[in-house]
Amino acid sequence: MSRAVLAGWAALALAGAAGLADAVRAEPTPPSIARGEAVLREAGGCTCHTDYPGEGDAAPELAGGRGLATPFGTYYSTNITPHRETGIGAWSDADFLRAMTEGRAPDGSHYFPVFPYPAFATMTRRDLLDLKAYLFSLPPVKRENRAPDAWLPFRMRIAVAGWKLLNFRPHAFEPDPTESEAWNRGAYLVNGPAHCGECHTPRTLTGGLDRSLWLAGSTDGPEGELAPNITPHRRTGIGDWSAVDLSWYLETGIKPDGDDTQGLMAEVIEHGFSHVPKADLAAIAEYLRSIPPIDHEVKAPDAGS
Amino acid sequence: MAPTLSPSMRLALVLAAVVVAAPSARAADDVAYVKYRQKVMQGIGADMGAISEILKNGLPFTAAIALHADKIGDSASLIPTAFEKKVTEGATDAKPEIWMEPDEWKGAIHDLEKAADALEEAADDDDPEAISAAFKTLGKSCGGCHDHFRKPKEESYKNQ
Repeated sequence: MSRAVLAGWAALALAGAAGLADAVRAEPTPPSIARGEAVLREAGGCTCHTDYPGEGDAAPELAGGRGLATPFGTYYSTNITPHRETGIGAWSDADFLRAMTEGRAPDGSHYFPVFPYPAFATMTRRDLLDLKAYLFSLPPVKRENRAPDAWLPFRMRIAVAGWKLLNFRPHAFEPDPTESEAWNRGAYLVNGPAHCGECHTPRTLTGGLDRSLWLAGSTDGPEGELAPNITPHRRTGIGDWSAVDLSWYLETGIKPDGDDTQGLMAEVIEHGFSHVPKADLAAIAEYLRSIPPIDHEVKAPDAGS
Repeated sequence: MAPTLSPSMRLALVLAAVVVAAPSARAADDVAYVKYRQKVMQGIGADMGAISEILKNGLPFTAAIALHADKIGDSASLIPTAFEKKVTEGATDAKPEIWMEPDEWKGAIHDLEKAADALEEAADDDDPEAISAAFKTLGKSCGGCHDHFRKPKEESYKNQ
């Protein structure tokens, strides 16, 4: 398994180096804290790592401990502050890249896929190392990580090896030369750092993302939230939203009907997308308007019962 | 020839009518109360949506933003009346917390009024940056109330 992943990564590194020439320069660029903060915002502020629901605005930022209820059990996000004992302060660049792109801890154990590394695996090395530089510039918080409250097979890290075989195909982002630069930027953001699909795509029985319903909404989002269909389907998706409606929504949280946003998406907007440059929000909107509309109605899980 | 009834007979008839009519009348009333308050809230949503159209598309209607903000402030002052009667059953997303935590509830309405005033002022001053900031604060004041007092979409009657 690990050999297969490593081999995959070696191939990917070769392919990625050619495909992402615009992002990765031959000259190594020193990691930038400012760019890293921008990457964190693109990732929705990484708010899963802050326990806002449990501790409110007093929650120590990015120190983990937030319970994420999933159909497999409740998983607790980890401390990603640079605390050396309880956070990621002792991690090397290689440790960070391996966590984000392979879903493996420095000790080699597997991370549960509640951590969306399949999306982060498509990110550029530069974005990832800038993000690390930003995280390492923040104050360290001492807080131990917490084991999941899940049924036995779903709290065994070794079981994740099987999950990865079934569901994890790491690959770098490949730009589509027939599309505009903005479209490609949007595609990179949506499927990489912003990891939209991790909540807005339903999962299969094995907990992998159902590629046939990509971004078509899920009733089993994290914390039991209902994640709407964000494909441009007119009736069941957001087909009646213009690109301007979409980027305005990501900036302000106000929908075209004038309503506001609650739940995880409100956090993602407040701590993430509202700080993302307008051109990037427009790129996300352009991409989301272009994907195939999927007829998939998302209703509350117990609807009709 | 008009039939005449003794006062006590009349009273008995009136009471009987009240007893018979009361349950259905009360049910109809509850639906009407819910509909009324939903119209008040939709009015605020319509003004928020209209301001959004102006700002996100760059329509040259800055003076209209002040009017919409003024309308939101007026609508906000209708909210206490609209939610005076506790109705949590039926096609409503109002949570019982509205009537259990009246001080927090009033505070949230006050925040909305203040935020609407601030946007009206920014629009009167024709200051784009202040308008943008005040609009975002106004949007947050919607959430400041909805987060706690409105059922989340997972429990909304609209998604059942």
